[in-house]
Amino acid sequence: MIEIEAVHKSFGELEVLAGVDLTVEKGEVLCVIGASGSGKSTLLLCINALEPIQQGRILVDGIDVHGKATDQNRLRQKLGIVFQQYNAFPHLTARQNVALAPRLVRKAGRKEADEIAEKRLLHVGLGDKLEHYPSQLSGGQQQRLAIARALAMDPDYMLLDEITSALDPELVGEVLDTLRMLSDEGMTMIAVTHEIPFAREVADRVAFFHAGVIHEIGPARELIGNPQKPRTREFLSKIL
Amino acid sequence: MQNLTLSFTFNDFLLMLRGAGITFVLTIASGAAGTLLGFLVGWGRSAPSRLLRHLLGAYIEVVRSVPLIIQFVLFNSFMAIVGHPMNPFVSGLLTLSIYISAYVAEVVKAGIDSVPRRTRMAARGLGMSYLQDFVHVVVPIGTRTVFPAWTGLMLGLMKDTSLIAVLGASPPELLRASQIIITRIQEPLMILLGAGVFYFVMCAVIAAASKRYETRWRREQETWQ
Repeated sequence: MIEIEAVHKSFGELEVLAGVDLTVEKGEVLCVIGASGSGKSTLLLCINALEPIQQGRILVDGIDVHGKATDQNRLRQKLGIVFQQYNAFPHLTARQNVALAPRLVRKAGRKEADEIAEKRLLHVGLGDKLEHYPSQLSGGQQQRLAIARALAMDPDYMLLDEITSALDPELVGEVLDTLRMLSDEGMTMIAVTHEIPFAREVADRVAFFHAGVIHEIGPARELIGNPQKPRTREFLSKIL
Repeated sequence: MQNLTLSFTFNDFLLMLRGAGITFVLTIASGAAGTLLGFLVGWGRSAPSRLLRHLLGAYIEVVRSVPLIIQFVLFNSFMAIVGHPMNPFVSGLLTLSIYISAYVAEVVKAGIDSVPRRTRMAARGLGMSYLQDFVHVVVPIGTRTVFPAWTGLMLGLMKDTSLIAVLGASPPELLRASQIIITRIQEPLMILLGAGVFYFVMCAVIAAASKRYETRWRREQETWQ
């Protein structure tokens, strides 16, 4: 379970998180929607301590993410994160990309790490691209590579930061299919997304993020189909 | 006596060849030491500590602002004044290393900065430590980006080694060797032309070696984000 309690974060004068409260249960898929630059991505980065917070606290399975005594490198293995720009390691093949963290962090042997990588790449449909470099892959394939790389650490949660936003429209489908598959397998996910139809279909709940807080949250179909607050309605009417 | 002859002899050729060897050794040694030092300085420039960043920034500015030829003389004299007179060859080598380290540091800093923030976050997000991210992600990506710039520095360094002549360092490197011959046979143009050919060949060797790496990396690199 991820528990976010009254989290505040500012970049200088700019307050991006202004008291965020949110709980995500094990096995749940939560989609976070909201205008660009509203702090949704920052929230994801705070959940696995890639960004510090100034107030409040975040608990992952009861562990205080930003606690002084917390081993953040260890904690982050629980939380896979995937970004908009894929950020594959350009100097490594697909297989090496996925095998790197198991080898370094979990001290897996070369052979074992290679097997993990192969399995994960097969899982996301890249079984025939093991020896390809990221530059030889399409955007959709690179994004699936990034997902496989995150899955290789056997995370309990996946944090997905607008992972289809940089893709050509015809490549969005293959990445969403991968997420559907993860959702079917019971993976807990927090996905910042602009894909409203996808959110309606896959998410258990949808949260509308506005002015640094969760403005409205509810079951996916209800929030998208029948938003209660004027701001939410306004946003959805613009984007749909 | 044989070495009073006023024409270019085989021994002169050997002297120049040996000079070229000395130039090469000077370049390799100061290039290696300067790259190591510059790597540490450039890395430190990306550290969170503001004090460290400013100190290293000042180091780079000072070293880059003072002409190398002045640094040679000052460093050599300084060591003598503080009671540790040095072989001019050694003090020249150290000066060259320090000089080039400031330029290498800037290249290293640029290499580190060239790695997208999100790519480093992806590495840390997988549970890698700062050092694992640095060694396995930042260094290989950054190296590929700034390798051509670094090669350029090394080629420049090779030519700068000739300034060590102001210290009268012995054994003579290529330019000093050429000057010795010129003094005797009074054929400056031919000798300097010959020295130029030596420098050109050595630069071409280094450039060709670096080209091989670049070509190999470019295959992977085609469409880096």
